[in-house]
Amino acid sequence: MSELILIAQGLHKRFGGVHAVADISLGIPRNVIYAVIGPNGAGKSTLLNLLSGVYQPNAGSLTFEGRDLAGLRSFDRVGLGIARTFQKIRLFKNLSLVENVLAGFHNHHRIPPWQYLIPGAARRADRDRCLGEAHELLKLVGLDARADQRAGSLAYGQQRMLEIARALATRPKLLMLDEPAAGLNASEVEFLLGRLRELKSRGVTLVVVEHNMDLVMRVSDHVFVMDHGEYLFDGLPAEVQKNPKVIGAYLGAEFA
Amino acid sequence: MSDRVPRWLLLLVAIAVIALLPLVFTGNYWRGILIVCALNVLLAMGLNLVLGYCGQLNLGQSAFYAIGAYASTLLVMKAGWPFWIAFAAGVVLAGLFGAILAVFGTRLRGHYLGIASLGFAVITYQLLINWIDLTEGPLGIYGIMPPPPITLPGLATIDFSNQATLFYLIGGTAFLIYVLLANLVRSPIGETLRAIREDEVSAASLGINPQKWKVFAFAVGAAIAGIAGGFLPPFVGTLSPDLFQIVESFTMMAMVIVGGMGTMAGPVIGAILLTVLVEVLREFGELRLMVYGVALALVVLFMPGGIVQGWNALTASLAGRGSREGTKAERAR
Repeated sequence: MSELILIAQGLHKRFGGVHAVADISLGIPRNVIYAVIGPNGAGKSTLLNLLSGVYQPNAGSLTFEGRDLAGLRSFDRVGLGIARTFQKIRLFKNLSLVENVLAGFHNHHRIPPWQYLIPGAARRADRDRCLGEAHELLKLVGLDARADQRAGSLAYGQQRMLEIARALATRPKLLMLDEPAAGLNASEVEFLLGRLRELKSRGVTLVVVEHNMDLVMRVSDHVFVMDHGEYLFDGLPAEVQKNPKVIGAYLGAEFA
Repeated sequence: MSDRVPRWLLLLVAIAVIALLPLVFTGNYWRGILIVCALNVLLAMGLNLVLGYCGQLNLGQSAFYAIGAYASTLLVMKAGWPFWIAFAAGVVLAGLFGAILAVFGTRLRGHYLGIASLGFAVITYQLLINWIDLTEGPLGIYGIMPPPPITLPGLATIDFSNQATLFYLIGGTAFLIYVLLANLVRSPIGETLRAIREDEVSAASLGINPQKWKVFAFAVGAAIAGIAGGFLPPFVGTLSPDLFQIVESFTMMAMVIVGGMGTMAGPVIGAILLTVLVEVLREFGELRLMVYGVALALVVLFMPGGIVQGWNALTASLAGRGSREGTKAERAR
């Protein structure tokens, strides 16, 4: 396997008496699609919140490109190249599509401070560059025709795609998607699958927390399985499909 | 407000209006009201940055107004500083207190932040009343001079002891602040503040540090209140705590909400409308203060976006689809 972009060792997260993530270790190779699966309540979203910095772990360590992530909050980690989307969609619903994406360029503006008050050439150039990139990203997710509409007016599946475009504006090396296929119809899932492959071809490493097994099996390079907050199994999609422990966790022990 | 009229033309019209106003309203009474309008526009614009763009409830604006007023006046009268340096110090101090309040207060959200900022306004007001050695207490400070004349070598001397030039000074400052703020909220910083207003967790996922930018908005909003504060005592000639009662914070909030939160024109329209309305109704005594409550209730019930958004919706429905796209394009800008 190639170099690991993100390494987690012995992660623990407790909420009161609930051990949401228990002793999880994983290594994510660069430029793969890495799926995290497990039954409801397996701790997948909590794990993703730990990786993205929404939560800090009770124990364990995280390194990204060799850099310790301890204590870095989510906005700090974005600066290193870690971005994410949310299971429950969190768009800026009252802003237009293009404004949503523009907000993602927060760390990438090149404007001398005084030009925030008195616009000059550098600010106009920055504006043109960001607008151009924003429209490119909207094109990538098939939404450029609606660039000036309110984000809240989009259909559910389109909102998921807009969230991906917004996260991409931060120029992530590692993009984590929390159930990107949830609520999508069959043709939307096909479109999403194509986009994930496109992002991989552009060099982005993807972590995908997902329930849609068809999508996971077709698109991912490596699958990590959790159950009740604990590690269950990890391997190639084909290995996971055949593994009795995984089948047992999803369907009950009698099917294993 | 619209894409059809070029921006430079709107700015020229605004300059012309400011230039003509004291020539139309010649009596000192009406010129005084013009000045009060300009002060309220400043206060409402500052509050709007925090409330309308960054989405943070701030009921402490009257305290920043007071800090700007007392700091500049006391530095002139007790420390003997030149007016403009004392004025600048008052602005900086108001901004600094805005930042300090935000550092502690923005750990709280929504109503809790509102209560914390209200508490700050209460404490400030009580200090003004009770710290008599410094502020002269409820009796107030008298004999405050207008800003010293500015001499333009070889041209003229601008004397601020008459209401017309004082209005040009304060109205001109309000205009300048409007232009700078409009540029700021159209910049990526505006995008950042709106992102925080819409969803903080989401904003943080894009690399935005919400705490840092809330402190920024509070500091800038408070500094603008400090500017209004620095102009108030030389205009009134006296300074007493009752100018900064807690209700003033709510008055400023009413101006922002009635005009339209999160728009540039909104606070200007709201401040002018409510200031003039209250003056026109002066013969009704204290009853006139109900104007704020009634205006606020009417707007919240029938035009939740304030006058600016109500106007946009009206023109859009009159002109049909074409101009609806126009308002969207404007929002996107």
